[in-house]
Amino acid sequence: MTIALRTHVLTKKYGQLTALDSFDLEVDQGSIFGLLGPNGAGKTTLIRILTTLMRQSSGEAFIQGLDTRVSGREIRALIGVVSQENSLDRYLTARENLELHARLHGMQAGHYRRRIDELLELMGLAGRQKDFPDSFSGGMQRRLVVTRALVHEPRVLFLDEPTTGLDPQSRRAVWDYVRSIAGSMTIFLTTHYLEEAEQLCDRIAIMDHGRLIAQGTTQELKERLSGGTVYEIEFDDEIEWYAALLKGMACVLDMNVVGRMVHVGLESWECLSEVVSALHGAPVRRISLRERTLEDVFISLTGAGVRE
Amino acid sequence: MKFLGSLAIWRRDMLVLRRSILSELVAVVAYPLTIYLAFGIGMKGYIGQVEGVPYSMFIAPGLITMTAVNAAYSESVWSLWFHRRVQFTIESYRVTPVSVSEIVVAKILSGFTHGLVKGLTVALVIFAITPFRFEPVNLLAYMAFLLPGSALFSCAGIISGTIMDKPETIGKVEAVFIMPLIFMSGLFFPLSSYPAAMAPWIKAFPTTALFEGARQTLTSGGFPIGFALQVTVTALLTFVAAVLIFRWKMAE
Repeated sequence: MTIALRTHVLTKKYGQLTALDSFDLEVDQGSIFGLLGPNGAGKTTLIRILTTLMRQSSGEAFIQGLDTRVSGREIRALIGVVSQENSLDRYLTARENLELHARLHGMQAGHYRRRIDELLELMGLAGRQKDFPDSFSGGMQRRLVVTRALVHEPRVLFLDEPTTGLDPQSRRAVWDYVRSIAGSMTIFLTTHYLEEAEQLCDRIAIMDHGRLIAQGTTQELKERLSGGTVYEIEFDDEIEWYAALLKGMACVLDMNVVGRMVHVGLESWECLSEVVSALHGAPVRRISLRERTLEDVFISLTGAGVRE
Repeated sequence: MKFLGSLAIWRRDMLVLRRSILSELVAVVAYPLTIYLAFGIGMKGYIGQVEGVPYSMFIAPGLITMTAVNAAYSESVWSLWFHRRVQFTIESYRVTPVSVSEIVVAKILSGFTHGLVKGLTVALVIFAITPFRFEPVNLLAYMAFLLPGSALFSCAGIISGTIMDKPETIGKVEAVFIMPLIFMSGLFFPLSSYPAAMAPWIKAFPTTALFEGARQTLTSGGFPIGFALQVTVTALLTFVAAVLIFRWKMAE
C-alpha cells in the first residue's frame, strides 16, 4: 500500500510548551484516517503543519512524498482543506466562492466551470449557486465548504471537525458524501464525534499531550481495552441484596448500581454462567452485554477530566 | 513569483467593489466635498489667496489626493482585518498554491484601485462644481505621486490590518497616526506657516512630499523630483515591511 502521508519524529514547540512531541504517523493512500484527541491534544497543530500553514520545530512530514518544509506550494496544489471555521466569502455567491478557489489553484475556466457544475449538482447546491452563503443553513454552508475543497480534485483531503455544529441530518449527509468519495482520495479527518470516526474511518489514531497514544482499526482499539466484559443486569426488586451477593463473587471485578440496573465487570465471558447460577430465582428482568465503545477506549486512554 | 493568485484575489475584490460602487462613491465623495464646501467656499472670503492661488484651488489637489490615499488605506486595513479575523478567507487562500506575498500584493492592488477610483470620482465632482482646472499633461506628473502615494497607504493599511486584532484599535490608529500625517502635511495651509524649527520635521513626512508634490504638479505643472523620490522610496520600504509583517503574523 502506498503511503499518502507520513510524519517522522515531528515536533512543534511554542516556547516551553511542546504541542507535538516526536509524532510518528503513516496514512495509507485512499484510506479514511481519523485523528482523535481531547482539546489541546495537538490535532490542530498537526493539521497546520501537514497543510503547510505552520513550520515544525524539528522532524519531518511528507504529503504524497513531498517534504512540507520545502514543497509548500506543490503540497497545497495536492490537498483540499475543510477547516473548522466556515471560511466562505459572504460577499460572493456560492458559485463565485468555488470559482475563486479554482482560480487560486490556477485552473482554466473551461475546466473549472464543468467541474463546479458537477460538484454543485452532486452536493445538492445547484439550485442555490447564485445565492450568497449567508442565506444558507449551517448544513448547506458546510457542504459548500466541502465542495470548495474538492474543486481542484485533491489527492489528500483534510477535514478538520467537518460536522461540528450540524444537525444529525446534515451530519449524515456529509458522512454519506465522505463515504462516496472514499478511495478516490486519502481523507484525513479530525473530529470530536466518536461515532463519526467509528462510522467513517478505516483507521483511527488517538493523540494526547502531543503524542500518539494508540492507533488501529476501531475493533483493534476496542480490543486493547483491558478488564474483560461488562454486563448490565436489571432487577425488578431486592437490588441491594443481589448487588451485595454479586460483589462477593470472586469472578466479579467491579460493580456499580444505577437505579434498577447493576453493571457488573467480569474477568471473562466464561464467568457469566457462574453469575446466572447465583441469580437463580432472582427477579431479573434483563441481562445484556454492554459493548465497548470507541468512547470507552478514548476515555480510558485520555482520561475523563475536562480539558481547558 | 507567480502573480496569478494576486490577480484572482484582486478580481474578487473588484467584483465586490463593482456590486457596491454606488453606495461606496456616495460615502466617499461626501467627506471631501463637505470639507471643500466648508473651507474652500466658506473660508474663501477670509483667506483669499495662498501662494498666489485662490484658497479653494489651493486645497483641491490635496483633497483629491487625500480621498485616494484614505480610500487605499481604509480598503486595505478593513479588508485584511475582516478577511483574517471575521471571515477567515485569508486562511482559505493560504491552503491553495498561492504564496503569502501574492496575498499581500493582491490586497495592495485592491487598496490602490479603490484609491484610484474614489480619487478620480472626487476629482470629477470638484471639476463639475468648481472652477478648479489643470493642464491634462500635468496629470502624468501627478500620477508619479498618486500611484506610489496610494501604494504607500495601501501598504500601511496592510500592516495595520495584519497587526491589529481589534477593530477599535484600527480606528485609534487612524485618529492618532493617519489623520495627523495627512492634516499636518500642508493640505489646508502652506508649509511656510510652520515655525522654522518644525519645518524640516514636517518635510520629512512622506505625506508632506505627497501632498506638496501633488499640488505643485497639478496647479503649476512643476515636478518636484525630490518629493517624488521620497514618496516612492517610502512606498517601497513600506511594501517590504508589509510583506515581512504579514509573513511573520501568518507564521504565528
